[in-house]
Amino acid sequence: MEGRPRALLERGLCSAVDAQWLMMMMMMMEGRDCLKSYDEVYSGLFDEKGHRKDGREMKEARAMYARGNFVSQAKGSSYIEMNKTKVVCSVFAPREISHQNEFSTVGQLFCEVKFAPFSCHLQRQPHVPDAEEKALSVALRKALEPTVCCHLFANFQIDIFVYILENDGACLAAAITAAGLALANGAVPMYDIITASSIAIIGDKMFIDPTEREEHLALSSPETKQNHGVITMSRMHGLKQIADFRQIGSLDVDCILKATDILEEECNKIVPKIQMILVRYINNGIIQQKKLAEAAKEREAALKIKMKEWSSSIIKISD
Amino acid sequence: MAGVLLSRTEKVFIIDGVKDEYRSDGRSTIDYRPMELETNVVSHASGSARLRLANTDILVGIKTEIDVPKPDKPALGKIDFFVDCSANATPEFEGRGGEQLANSISNMMQRAYQSPQAFDLKQLCIFEGKQCWKLYVDILILECGGNLCDAVSLAVKAALFNTKIPFVKAALMDGGNIDLQLSDDPYDSKLLDVGSAPLLVTLCKIGNKCVVDPTAEEEKCSSVSLIVGVTGNRKYYSDDDTEELPAFQPKCSAISMHGPGSITTTTLRNAINQGIIAAVCLDEALGKTVVRERRDIEKFKRHSYGFLK
Repeated sequence: MEGRPRALLERGLCSAVDAQWLMMMMMMMEGRDCLKSYDEVYSGLFDEKGHRKDGREMKEARAMYARGNFVSQAKGSSYIEMNKTKVVCSVFAPREISHQNEFSTVGQLFCEVKFAPFSCHLQRQPHVPDAEEKALSVALRKALEPTVCCHLFANFQIDIFVYILENDGACLAAAITAAGLALANGAVPMYDIITASSIAIIGDKMFIDPTEREEHLALSSPETKQNHGVITMSRMHGLKQIADFRQIGSLDVDCILKATDILEEECNKIVPKIQMILVRYINNGIIQQKKLAEAAKEREAALKIKMKEWSSSIIKISD
Repeated sequence: MAGVLLSRTEKVFIIDGVKDEYRSDGRSTIDYRPMELETNVVSHASGSARLRLANTDILVGIKTEIDVPKPDKPALGKIDFFVDCSANATPEFEGRGGEQLANSISNMMQRAYQSPQAFDLKQLCIFEGKQCWKLYVDILILECGGNLCDAVSLAVKAALFNTKIPFVKAALMDGGNIDLQLSDDPYDSKLLDVGSAPLLVTLCKIGNKCVVDPTAEEEKCSSVSLIVGVTGNRKYYSDDDTEELPAFQPKCSAISMHGPGSITTTTLRNAINQGIIAAVCLDEALGKTVVRERRDIEKFKRHSYGFLK
């Protein structure tokens, strides 16, 4: 593929800048279908049966794998995988806010979202956070603020790091759910479990839990005046409150309200899974503690026997 | 905002008032405070506007530059928002204090202008895949009296309405490079179609109700606000009334929440509806004002006030 622009350049048919540009276009073409027309890309989202490309129904979210205790160095951590979206989150113990002049009466959350350099089609710059990462970090902080009991650790901050290993759409929703799980796993005081879900809308079609292609198309420009956009909503299940609501695109009110209902349901569907994981960790913790206590008892008993032996032997020696 | 201290009884007074749809300054829940707007205030910018809403003072300048379009969007121009929170506004902005707020406002504007139904970037295209206009929207916050997002979006729309882009007189193709000759005549320029540009409306949740354009005291009583970006109606921004335009339906181009609180689903639904109603009223008022101002400028009738008023 790269041969063609180079050949054009060698024959002097185009300038060096043009060849470079062509090459870039071709490289991108393989990953993103930017040279196809909008309709072609749109029809590419479905297979022959009218299902989505990965075999899901329109209303079907991807299966989720979630676990806690993923990073041994962190106080709390979690890992969430939704097919090709993979997210790691770690939470560290509260520490005093550095470089601050005034005393703050409520604690703060410091969130950082990072994409792995190999996470997307585009090569990302490591080290320097780009605009998307910054925006995601702010969104994550806004979503988590209502659910953490910030007043309990005045003048302290909790660090939350999210690392996106692979991004195939709905990464903010995955990040929020992962961070909620990691916070609970790290025993940070919280009001409620927080879960998030995302939806992409193109015309009258609603893609629940969209993949990257679906998300990308929902944000790009159709010629018509139809609805298009992406909504991410995070919800606190027990309190029945919406912690954060983000929408981009162009949608009419009825569509947004309908999507809100669907998202609410989707968020609720995740809650039992998260609860189950947390309960399992607590159970495991209790079992572990019992085992440790038993082991300690055994050791103590053994020690007592040894002590008796020693003391008797000491008495013997002194005799 | 800074420096407002409210006793518990004062808070109760405001919250209970809003519950019965009464506000201490007599406005309804979708009314804005009076504003002052002046366009074409900065001579070195392609378009500019200054807006004063109560104590909030915003100056927007728009610079244009020729740029190369993105490879995956060859037919689109670019628009960039940059917010600067001057330390004059409040002492909190000193140093890097205002950075977070500035970022969140510019992010919100970028998202609201993202959809082609909100702002069509095709009008900034010069040569497809080769050259396009890039608009730098510089937003300067001179004084901060609350409700920044709304004021910024109004001022930006007014400034974009006022923006003039010079016509291209001639283009010289040299290999792959293009040399453009721009028109020197300031009157030989095109105006942008900004009728559909979005306005942001901040809905401040007080009790179970929401109010737009909260005063500093009202802001103190609320823990969360919802920001809704609503696309504008072209009808209010066209010069000739005869032009037939398709039926208009306001659409949301961005929604976001701000503040440490959370809201219920019912409140969210009501707030979005309320925000759209408020935005449509606001859009009509802004449209009438800027069109009148443009007519005045054309007839040399306008008094320039600048900052001296």
